[in-house]
Amino acid sequence: MSAAAHGLALVVLVPIVGGALIPALFRRFPTAAWGFALASSALTLAISISLIRRLLAEGPFSYAAGGWPPPYGVALHFDRFGAAIAVFSMITLLVLIFSRRYIPAVVPIARIPLYYALVMINLGGMNGFLVTGDLFNLFVFMEVFSVSAYALVAMARGPQAGLAAIKYLLLGAVSSLLVLFAIGLIFAQTGTLNMADAAGRLDAAASIVPTALALGALTIGFMVKAALFPLHVWLPDAHASAPAPVSALLSAVVVKAGVIGIIRTLQTFSDHGSLQLMPLQSLLIWLGAIAVLWGAVAALVQSDLKRLLAYSTVTNIGYIFIGLGIGSATAASGAAVHIINHAVIKAALFLAAGALIHQSGLRHIDDLRGLGERMPLSALALGVALLAVAGVPPTAGFVGKWQIGLGALETGRPLLMGVVIVGGLLVLTYGVRIINTLFFRPPLHVRVVTSREAPPSMLAAILLLAASSFLLGLAGKPMLDFVAPAILPLTDTG
Amino acid sequence: MPIELHDLRPVLAPLISALCAGGVFVMGTSGRWRAIWSLAAAGLKFVIVWSMLPGTLAGSVYIFRVGEILPGLSIAFRVDAFGLFYALVTATLWVLTTVYALAYMKGSHALKRFFGFFALCISTTVAIAFAENLFTLFLFYELLTVCTYPLVIHDQDAEARRAGRKYLAYTLCGGAVILAGMLLVFHSAGTLSLAEGGILGDVDDHRVLLLIFLTLVGGFGVKAAIMPLHAWLPAAMVAPTPVSALLHAVAVVKAGAFGVVRVLYDVFGVNLLKSLGFATWLGYLAGFTIIAGSIMALRQNRLKARLAWSTISQLSYILLAASLLTPAAALAAIIHLANQAFTKITMFFVAGAIEHNTGKTHIDQLDGIGYRMPWTMAAFTIAGLSFMGVPLLAGFITKWYLSLGALAADSGGFVALMALSGLLNAAYWLPIIYRAYFRETGIPQLREETPWMLLAPIGICAGYVILLGTGAQAPLMPFSLAESAVRLAFGLEGGIP
Repeated sequence: MSAAAHGLALVVLVPIVGGALIPALFRRFPTAAWGFALASSALTLAISISLIRRLLAEGPFSYAAGGWPPPYGVALHFDRFGAAIAVFSMITLLVLIFSRRYIPAVVPIARIPLYYALVMINLGGMNGFLVTGDLFNLFVFMEVFSVSAYALVAMARGPQAGLAAIKYLLLGAVSSLLVLFAIGLIFAQTGTLNMADAAGRLDAAASIVPTALALGALTIGFMVKAALFPLHVWLPDAHASAPAPVSALLSAVVVKAGVIGIIRTLQTFSDHGSLQLMPLQSLLIWLGAIAVLWGAVAALVQSDLKRLLAYSTVTNIGYIFIGLGIGSATAASGAAVHIINHAVIKAALFLAAGALIHQSGLRHIDDLRGLGERMPLSALALGVALLAVAGVPPTAGFVGKWQIGLGALETGRPLLMGVVIVGGLLVLTYGVRIINTLFFRPPLHVRVVTSREAPPSMLAAILLLAASSFLLGLAGKPMLDFVAPAILPLTDTG
Repeated sequence: MPIELHDLRPVLAPLISALCAGGVFVMGTSGRWRAIWSLAAAGLKFVIVWSMLPGTLAGSVYIFRVGEILPGLSIAFRVDAFGLFYALVTATLWVLTTVYALAYMKGSHALKRFFGFFALCISTTVAIAFAENLFTLFLFYELLTVCTYPLVIHDQDAEARRAGRKYLAYTLCGGAVILAGMLLVFHSAGTLSLAEGGILGDVDDHRVLLLIFLTLVGGFGVKAAIMPLHAWLPAAMVAPTPVSALLHAVAVVKAGAFGVVRVLYDVFGVNLLKSLGFATWLGYLAGFTIIAGSIMALRQNRLKARLAWSTISQLSYILLAASLLTPAAALAAIIHLANQAFTKITMFFVAGAIEHNTGKTHIDQLDGIGYRMPWTMAAFTIAGLSFMGVPLLAGFITKWYLSLGALAADSGGFVALMALSGLLNAAYWLPIIYRAYFRETGIPQLREETPWMLLAPIGICAGYVILLGTGAQAPLMPFSLAESAVRLAFGLEGGIP
């Protein structure tokens, strides 16, 4: 009973504490760390599901840490956006299952517990970021998942990983500073760190300049985390050079924190009487549209499979921001659903690509010719996920694109609908290219011929994710209905 | 008003073929199981589709709703007269094509993949025929592209890959354009239903209507190979013959033509289109394609290439007839779906049989082939005569009703066009027949008839061409179905004027 009441705290504490214990507990038995990490992420998932059940029964609820009521104490708040933690925990769980056979091949054995610790801490940071109702804690949790992400990128062997991690860290640190700066401004203006409270008091603030400055700093800071064009430059390197399960986590989950940060920002400032959000939303639409096309074109010219997938994330973040920028109920709820659907699809893509790369030892697309014959299931999963990421109906990728395209029409922007469709077509172009390479071309490389299908632990994760990236498309309506109340405060401004 | 009945069969027909396709993928390494599952896919569907004919003729409409996947977008199936007509054509031809393919493809590589996707194609085609709304139609239309692609590049050599690339580039761009049109329709009409005989009646903005017309007709026009969107079709010639038959006669191009007709009659509706006048331009373009395609066909020496260009020309008969917006012309459009399918598939089967038997692919090699393969070439001759418009064969019926419809629409020029096209058809089919029977080769021709598994489908199709031309009015022939489809589209009560 008491565990249920404290669920909101546990969903953050279990992964962080569990993660922190791993290096100490498993220094001598590094390979056993896997089981412990798996168990604690499964526990996190179970707690988050129980939270969603409570949400559905009671509506949004809060939890006052240590019994101090807000605005004095630290508040945790669970709403329909918070429900994303269930998806993120699920993806982390699958990434962990995938890691069992993958990680020992790319990480020195002594560092394996560290890897699992970082993955768990990353999950804890994400969960905390999503459920906190307090601005300062928002920053703290953001640092928790960011720093663990930098370290995870650096886990891979080779000089590129280190460089990529440093690039990621530098940009990430700047963005964190901006967010901290903005939080300071808001605190100075309103005297509170509670988000709901601050939102109400911002309007009464004497001067509009600091408020506008805070809005700008928050937007740019989260844009870096979300890798929205033109602040995406860190992403292709980091996501391409990290170990595959880490790429999956980063692309599927971690960039989404930036997106959710922007949504929270827009919602916080949407009540403001004199500050207009429209110009900012127009800017987001423009950047999103450029990101869609730029990411797709850049992906087209990549020869490295994982780098290509990284650019596909740039495209999809662009889609989400177009939807948020349009801000109508149709488009914004589509964007919110796309946050989840893209997470699943991208995890499927990176894990399937990871399996192909791991089993063949090759990562250039042209070298992978004919691998579909040797690894039919992994290649099939990659193919399904590629069709999904292109938004072919009725896959999961279609939901967001349809809603965003419809939103563009509803708000009188037919050209933007054109961008949405052309972007999908470009993505489909490279999707078909990869499918062709895998299934319809004779092997070029001798290692392809000797490759075997991925082990069951990898396959289980891949197939489940690939199946979900198809099936979630059929559940578009209930998902849209679910997020609609959470996205509403945003749409009021649109 | 038709009586709507909820029934499992509209979804069962595509589903059962999809399941059988799954059987091919799982057990297809064994040749025997591959054949069993492939024939099951074709045969079961054939039975299910035909079982709906009496009810539909009696005025029932079978409906099955799968569910709503996005607000306003649902997957639903609805068997009306036009849909069933198309499904009957494909389901019937599919059985024959499968038999033919089993014999023709013997010894080729990757047969599990080939027959798996082959069975999936028919599944999606019937789903297209039974789609209740534009979204369901689009969904399976795109799936058809995906499923035909592995068949087009089956040979996996450079030429096949080039053709496959071209095919995908055209059809996927077409699909994207349809998606844009669909968004526009949904935005302006709030529904995508094809069951109401026109959903755009309340849209005032002329520009929006024009944009919808251009995107939807243009998008579906890609697979219907209307010029200038036709270039993929001759390129896709490299595919194995059963696939060409599938592309040209049964599934792909017909899905495009079917889509255009659905857009004209069920998205716009006859009355709205008449007042808008867009369809006239489609008619001119189709008329141009009929002539230009024929002229291109004249210049081909490779038999399959000539057939391909002739397909481009023939498909535009359907589009031209549909765009005239008179009942008789609409009847021509619908029955030409069947007439062209049976006639053209006969020709492709023959071309494949000649290549399979003798290795000959070019027309100037065919001297005396009529004596080597008499039954095969007899079927070819029937098909050729049908395309020329010789009475008592299927092609004549189309030309007759199309001309009637053109006259009713005060477009007498199209009657002349029919005559010209008939002449051009004679100009490119007669030389082949002439070579086959009357050209001296100097060496005695040994009789070397096509194996029966190839010959039987050829014979049945050729027989059907005669049947369509002579017994069209007989009970239970699809002709009466076409008539009731026209009555529905035009809101007529009695016969077709």
